[in-house]
Amino acid sequence: MDWQLRPARDLGMAPGDRLRSLSRERGLFGMAANATWRWLLRLYFRLFHRLEVDGRENLPAAPFVLIGNHTSHLDALVLASILRGDSARRAHALAAGEVFFQSGPGALLSAYAINAFPIWRGKTKRGEMAALRARLVEDGLVYILFPEGTRSRTGAMGEFQPGLAMLLAGTGVPVVPCFIEGAFEAWPATRKWPRPGKLRVRIGSPVSMEGDRATAMAACRGAVVALGH
Amino acid sequence: MTAAFAHPVTIWIVSATGAVLALAAAAIGWLSASGRAKPEFRRELWLRFGSWCVLLPLMIGPVLAGRAWTIGAVTLLGLLGYREYARATGLFRERVLSAVVALGIVAVNFAALDNWYGFFVALFPLTVCVLAVASIPLDRPQGYVQRVGLAVLGYMLFGAGLAHLGFMANDANYRPLVLLLLTAVALNDCAAFTCGKLIGGRKLLPATSPNKTISGALGAVVVTGGVVALLGSVLFAGTPMGAWHWLLLLGVLVSVAGQAGDLMLSSIKRDIGIKDMGAVLPGHGGILDRFNSLLLVSPLVFHLVHYVVGLGTDAPTRLITGG
Repeated sequence: MDWQLRPARDLGMAPGDRLRSLSRERGLFGMAANATWRWLLRLYFRLFHRLEVDGRENLPAAPFVLIGNHTSHLDALVLASILRGDSARRAHALAAGEVFFQSGPGALLSAYAINAFPIWRGKTKRGEMAALRARLVEDGLVYILFPEGTRSRTGAMGEFQPGLAMLLAGTGVPVVPCFIEGAFEAWPATRKWPRPGKLRVRIGSPVSMEGDRATAMAACRGAVVALGH
Repeated sequence: MTAAFAHPVTIWIVSATGAVLALAAAAIGWLSASGRAKPEFRRELWLRFGSWCVLLPLMIGPVLAGRAWTIGAVTLLGLLGYREYARATGLFRERVLSAVVALGIVAVNFAALDNWYGFFVALFPLTVCVLAVASIPLDRPQGYVQRVGLAVLGYMLFGAGLAHLGFMANDANYRPLVLLLLTAVALNDCAAFTCGKLIGGRKLLPATSPNKTISGALGAVVVTGGVVALLGSVLFAGTPMGAWHWLLLLGVLVSVAGQAGDLMLSSIKRDIGIKDMGAVLPGHGGILDRFNSLLLVSPLVFHLVHYVVGLGTDAPTRLITGG
């Protein structure tokens, strides 16, 4: 008897608020929209970017956090597209609220298709971090995030922000490092639209975030850098 | 347009609805202008009024527009109602069962659109059979009874039960009957509230719904039952359903089943520990908070009228599937 009458976390929210909420839970329509979007993404990456993925065997069962270097808007999309099965259905990209959730249509696309959660730069409250952490553990989710916090304008990897370590503190949830190659050439921040070009993703072994935060963050960055060589 | 307003009861109901809306607007406007009500209360009243202004055309419009529109609107209402129910109970996390219920709702409304009564009736046991086995391959026996029980109740209420409202549209003279039910359940709520406030007295079921009184419930039976019986006497004149005892039963049934549907939803909400089923309708809550009364009224009234005079029995059957 493990059944509990547990209403949706976003029950009672106005439709607009629900789209931008970290409590958003999907129903059948959201699942179908996201599955269609992932299918289209896989098709796009195969046809236009001849996507190659190495190290899929390193992906653990959910929950986990997928991180990578960030040079392009393609990054979150390509990481979402490489997941399969249950992990793919549980994946949420943590996306900049100002970019993806400001307008109504943008919020609709980001919530239903991309299945993203908004992170508002410089405005993330402690409660929101706790909400993200609780959902990651209790709902067994997969988060896709980029610890640099913003796209690199040169293609070179920047420093990692400490938010990742704060998010995962005490959870025991592993981090899976990835290195995305070719995204900067295909769609840098200076271009309006992407151009075709080879993309390659290397997935590394999971990294534990237990212990000292600075050490854990350095280990994460080191793992991503190592995959790039 | 001529067909839509062919029956005098249709004209009366649509006119009365328009008149009540105009009266409500005038009353709220007067309250606002005279400053007799607190600003929060005035805001609440305007919110509710605004919701009704959107809801009523969405309810009455499809019925006037035709058979397919009516069944389409009932299908949408069933799907949206199930969505709220599933999100409130947590059943939406059971994707397979939710998908079966949603497909069942579409299928039973398709049977109504096809005017295929045999399939319409058969879909209840058939869908329950599918629900009973659908989640077995997941090899997760924990919680089986609870999730299947919730799914069967969900299909009964929002599929098999509510679809009777759409099936009524297969009768050539469906418009006044469907409009009568839609407006009678709203009148029932108002009558129960008003009688309860005016007369007061003992609570009906304080643990389930603390604001409802016995006087309100009985007052609603008298007012709604009387109005339904009176309009029913014009609607069913010259048919066996026009006999006073059937009209009386119809009136009482609409009121009692309407209130029972309301109390059923209150029981669900109390059990879960939530106030409203959603926030789609400002001032009302969720769709189910507004349409709960229809859930039990639809199948009960359909089978009463179908038993006494038949509904849609003269219309061509299996319009889409043939045969």
